[in-house]
Amino acid sequence: MSPEVVGSGGLLRLLTWLSPAFPVGAFTYSHGLEWAIEAGDVTDAGSLEAWLSDVLRFGAGRSDMILFARAFDAAAHADLDGLREIAELGHALGPSRERRLEASAQGRAFADTVRRTWGAPTLDWLMSADLPLVYPVAVAVACADHGVPPVPGMTATLSAFAANVVSAAVRAVPLGQTDGQRLIARLEPVIAAVVDEARHGTLDDVGGAALAADIASMKHETQYTRLFRS
Amino acid sequence: MSHDSPDAVREEAATAAGAPAATPVLQRARGVAEVAFKLVDGETRLDRLLQDGCCKMRFPRVYDGRPVAVLLNTAGGVTGGDDLRYGVTFAPGTRAVATTQAAERIYRRSAGLGRIATRLVVGDGAEAEWLPQETIVFDRAGLDRHLDIDLAGTARLTAVEQIVLGRTAMGETVRTASAIDRWRIRRDGRLVYADTLRLEGDAAAILAGRATGAGAAAMASLVHAGPGAEGRLEELRALFDRFAGEATGVVAGASAVDGLLVARLLAPGGRPLRDCLISVLENFRGRPVPRVWHC
Repeated sequence: MSPEVVGSGGLLRLLTWLSPAFPVGAFTYSHGLEWAIEAGDVTDAGSLEAWLSDVLRFGAGRSDMILFARAFDAAAHADLDGLREIAELGHALGPSRERRLEASAQGRAFADTVRRTWGAPTLDWLMSADLPLVYPVAVAVACADHGVPPVPGMTATLSAFAANVVSAAVRAVPLGQTDGQRLIARLEPVIAAVVDEARHGTLDDVGGAALAADIASMKHETQYTRLFRS
Repeated sequence: MSHDSPDAVREEAATAAGAPAATPVLQRARGVAEVAFKLVDGETRLDRLLQDGCCKMRFPRVYDGRPVAVLLNTAGGVTGGDDLRYGVTFAPGTRAVATTQAAERIYRRSAGLGRIATRLVVGDGAEAEWLPQETIVFDRAGLDRHLDIDLAGTARLTAVEQIVLGRTAMGETVRTASAIDRWRIRRDGRLVYADTLRLEGDAAAILAGRATGAGAAAMASLVHAGPGAEGRLEELRALFDRFAGEATGVVAGASAVDGLLVARLLAPGGRPLRDCLISVLENFRGRPVPRVWHC
């Protein structure tokens, strides 16, 4: 079996862990989209596709996938010093208070739930070392502990992120359910390309240019009417 | 990239110039400038100064007890393969400013990235300001910049970096560039802020989107650290309301994380970005920006 083929046990876990029903509260975060809608930057399916595609390629999407890939390899090789560096970098990369909340609250909730159910020794170590735990790093470590290969894990994680932002848009733009799913279908090649590029990226390759999305998350903190925590 | 073999450099240079492989390999600029400030009878004084190669520092006379180190690149710009290093150490309790003599220009290269590495070490109770002028990245330029800042205890910091793509006032557009600008801030050894701007390829196209640059050609990051820093968030936001916004074309946001104030700015060009930053920095710090900003 190719190292990137996921077995049925691994597939079940991935489907469960990245399901919108998994209790990390994903539905409460919009990644700053709620402000982009308020500001008139995102008004329909077309402008949402451009915004989200840029966030995937030039923003947290790409950087999170590099963090995932490096955290997976570090956990799989029991490289705890490497894992510590990745965990700290993942946290420090958060550009605003709400984006740090989005990354760390979901990471903590994910790790708490997995530890009390399937169990994950490397997640135990990260929590006991009192290290910050952003969401992609937590999922990567759980995948490594359970033998779920990185590319399926990264694809599932990035796809769940994109679907969550689209779901936020369906509620806040508003956007039709079918339009939302059409957009998710169109983003498939973007997700595949970002995962492919990130798989062998180094920590030095993290970074991007989603500056307006970062500013949107900052301005969201003072938005008068809010459905979302980011 | 900065360790290309001479043959590879010649080959790329020839390709870039569309000329045969006889194109000479350009002399690359190297430089180091490091200064340390110390506290003597409650006053900040120059401690050590090291200057080598194209990097220099000047210390104009100041009247407010806050020395200013003015960094200078005598090579007159940066191109592929250049290697510039700056360091400023602020001993505990000192107060000083570091800035640059002029806008740094990153010119079209034949190969490799120009590397600029700056390290600031700020002791307990010191007040450090890193207020360089803008960096202008020209078409087909390559920049690999590192800003590493170590804060101890109650150290205070105000730091800004501005990047402008081309001479925006002349309508230049940067279609091919490689600009990587990294910030890493540690407090008592712990990483509290990491940011990497990465523009590789068609910078104007990358920055066209509403999630990226919304069409901006100039951008800045601003960080303020120290006891009570987070408590000044509303003040900073009010300054952005006053000096950024639709009339200026500048879009700015601010937040507070891990004992830091962090802000980002996007602007249509270098001039509106600089005008906004001068007003915000002067009001926020209660002091003028370094005089060289107005030369």
